[in-house]
Amino acid sequence: MLTRELAIATFDQGVLIPDRLNRISDAAYIGYAERMLEIYRDGQGRTRRSLHQAVHRVFSEQVDCPERRIQAFCKLLDDESEFEKDERKTIVKLRQSVFREAAKHHPLVVQRDALFESQESEIKRMIAAEHGMDWPQLHDRLFADLIENQMLKKLNGFEDAPALLSRYNVAQTQAVLFDAVKMTIHAQGDFKQILRYAKLARLMIRITKLRDHYCFEFDGSASVLRSTHRYGIAMARFLPGLLACRGWRMQAKLRSTPYRPPIRFDLDDACGLVSEAVASKEFDSSIEETFAKQWCEVSPVDWRLERETEVLHRGQKVFFPDFVFVHRDGARVMMEIVGYWTPEYLKHKAEVMVHFRDQPIFLAIAKARKDDTSRLFENPTIYYKERIKIDAVLAMLNAMLPFRHSRQK
Amino acid sequence: MSSLSAKPTKILNPAFLDFCDGTLVLDKWSKEAVERVFGNRIWTWDHRAEVWRADALQYPSIREILAINSYGTADRVPQWQPVVWSKTNLPTPRSEQRDAVSAWAESCRGVVVMPTGTGKTEVALRIMADQGCSTLVVSPIRDLMYQWHKRILDGLGYDSGIIGDNTYNVKPVSVTTFDSACIHMPKLGNRFQLIIFDECHHLPGPIRSDSARMSIAPKRLGLTATLERSDGKHVKLDQLIGPLVYRLEISAVRGSSLADFDVFRIPVHLNARERFRYDELSEVVASYVYERRQDDSEFTWKKLCAETTSSGQAGIIMRAYREKKSIEDRAEEKLRVLEDLFRLHQGTPMIIFAGSNAMAHDVSRRFLIPCLLNHCGKAERIDYLDGLRDGIYPAIVANQVLDEGVDMPAVKIAVVIGGLASTRQAKQRLGRILRRRGNERAILYEVVAKDTNETGRSRKRRKSDAYTGTRNRNV
Repeated sequence: MLTRELAIATFDQGVLIPDRLNRISDAAYIGYAERMLEIYRDGQGRTRRSLHQAVHRVFSEQVDCPERRIQAFCKLLDDESEFEKDERKTIVKLRQSVFREAAKHHPLVVQRDALFESQESEIKRMIAAEHGMDWPQLHDRLFADLIENQMLKKLNGFEDAPALLSRYNVAQTQAVLFDAVKMTIHAQGDFKQILRYAKLARLMIRITKLRDHYCFEFDGSASVLRSTHRYGIAMARFLPGLLACRGWRMQAKLRSTPYRPPIRFDLDDACGLVSEAVASKEFDSSIEETFAKQWCEVSPVDWRLERETEVLHRGQKVFFPDFVFVHRDGARVMMEIVGYWTPEYLKHKAEVMVHFRDQPIFLAIAKARKDDTSRLFENPTIYYKERIKIDAVLAMLNAMLPFRHSRQK
Repeated sequence: MSSLSAKPTKILNPAFLDFCDGTLVLDKWSKEAVERVFGNRIWTWDHRAEVWRADALQYPSIREILAINSYGTADRVPQWQPVVWSKTNLPTPRSEQRDAVSAWAESCRGVVVMPTGTGKTEVALRIMADQGCSTLVVSPIRDLMYQWHKRILDGLGYDSGIIGDNTYNVKPVSVTTFDSACIHMPKLGNRFQLIIFDECHHLPGPIRSDSARMSIAPKRLGLTATLERSDGKHVKLDQLIGPLVYRLEISAVRGSSLADFDVFRIPVHLNARERFRYDELSEVVASYVYERRQDDSEFTWKKLCAETTSSGQAGIIMRAYREKKSIEDRAEEKLRVLEDLFRLHQGTPMIIFAGSNAMAHDVSRRFLIPCLLNHCGKAERIDYLDGLRDGIYPAIVANQVLDEGVDMPAVKIAVVIGGLASTRQAKQRLGRILRRRGNERAILYEVVAKDTNETGRSRKRRKSDAYTGTRNRNV
């Protein structure tokens, strides 16, 4: 990620627009990116400062390129690189030894006289020789452990120039969110994944179901007490995950700064930004996949199958049933497959089921696990051997219909 | 499904008061009950978690109300404990220190303003000794955090926990930095009964102040030599820590608790090469600003800064400006003056304050004296500071690292060869050499590049009352 100091953005009519390099109008940047990558790929043994200077030279003729953009490229390249570190503190020890030795001759004067006879050049030559160097070498070694003097070992990331430019665009967008006080997402799909990434970023969630989609609002515990951008970093961390999802549009509310009023930032899944976050697979297990396939083949008349379209939530607890069945009269029944057997998983699942006990959820559990699980869950359950049978599910669904209706009343 | 389930209409037992992510949470209370008991200023309904939420800072007032009648609400918030000191080894307080302690003890909340070198740390240690409770000390930088750790160990015999500098070791008495406190307070806010903010003028600021807001500590102490901030935000300290309870002016203790001191200003000239480049760059900046003012009479430096994000041209101007500053800062002549001052004060420990890391390195390489910068690890810093005290090193050069708080009792001579215009930095730097030791007089030299912007910065700096009577001296 970039730092706040490297963020570039303009604003227009209350909307913030982060810096973004475009394939067509900024075509020259493909060439710049290639040269920057070359500098780092061939830069083994060069200091960070010298690498940064070389990157600056790439842009020497591009007067329109703001300083911050160049620095941002340096930061992104550094983040993907390994540098030599003075792990064993050899430079620190060298410094201490040099300063202690020189202290005996303090002050080092340019011109020796009767009172002060330690001539600078002479003492430096002597001390350097004691450490097996000449003075220019010692001069360079003395602070070789400073961040700007660290030497590059290798560049790990960025397959090609477009990858660097694409990371730059995402990074500038993330940097916008450092000032975010609240983020709202309207989602038509990928709910589970969006909320999972938000949980990972430790954001607090408010969920509202609208007519044909969900609205998720993200902020943090203190946000309800005052407007704070404390959780902006979490939102920036969440962004790459969001970019891997489909079917959403996002709006962030940004705080005011000395340079601008409070402002809005909008983004949606057609923004063209690409992150390296992984989109999850459609099915968690082959059991689910086989079941979904068979259901399609049979395609029962009264019930329609939906995949993870329902988000159950109460307070900060959120639950996504694996399958939702919609009856032709509109009633919904949910099926959850209990697929793992670790005690933690079962305990968690049991808690979730208690939390949402007023919902029409039935479970599918492998027959072999009947004894381990029968006392854990109160939900109606079907047991399966190798695969979940459509007949068994339909029987359960029809049996649960009155349950649904009575609950509604 | 609606996201908001019905709010309870009364207090359902058992109700709980909890600490949660740096806030207080009250559940199972109805709106009517909350308003009747607490009024409508403390609690906010949090529709996300379906609880009442308040700033942790509010804990003492909430506690006070619930102490009269708990309404069946279990207080699960505080996780603190009494602390017994194995030994206390504190010097007998001076009268002004005693006054500060008793002024604070009246309400156990508030800010103590004392000039650097008059023993703020002793006041805090005395308060810690008296209170004997879980305590967190928050200071601006790592060095100070370690210094507090040492002072608590020496004075109270307690090996406190360290939170910061890649360490997370929480104990009933712990030390931390402002940044770490802000990050970790959501987890730690209910573990300390007393919280001490050293150099508390750093506390206001939208995120940093969370370290005060997200703590439930009923007892709060702020320490500073320079309360007033140029942005006026110090008034916030009243809410975050407490009112000003004690103030000692520098003039009141000059020569008694503090060493008496002289300030000398030494002007230096840029050499021919530096002067040529300096004037060239000044021309670049001035003509750009002139041109822009033709179209936009309101064009200011602030606007230029904002433009650097989008315009390469503005970036070039900024670079020219920075190079100008670097020429002032690293003027060759300053090194020559330093040599003279080293000759003049040979055998007396000296500290050099540089305006930039680059100049600090220049000085360190020229005279082969230790250079104390932010990157120095704990062991290296201690070696340099102890070495200066014990006479192993004749002098050290530092940038802003040493501006605040780090004790250097042995040093009586400081040379400022570059820095900000702020009077706070000037006061703080002066404070480093003013800790009284015998009847030695302290000397502060200010080396300033003549006919540059630096002269103006020096003039602004000397607005501080401490600098009155500055003399010019040509070396």
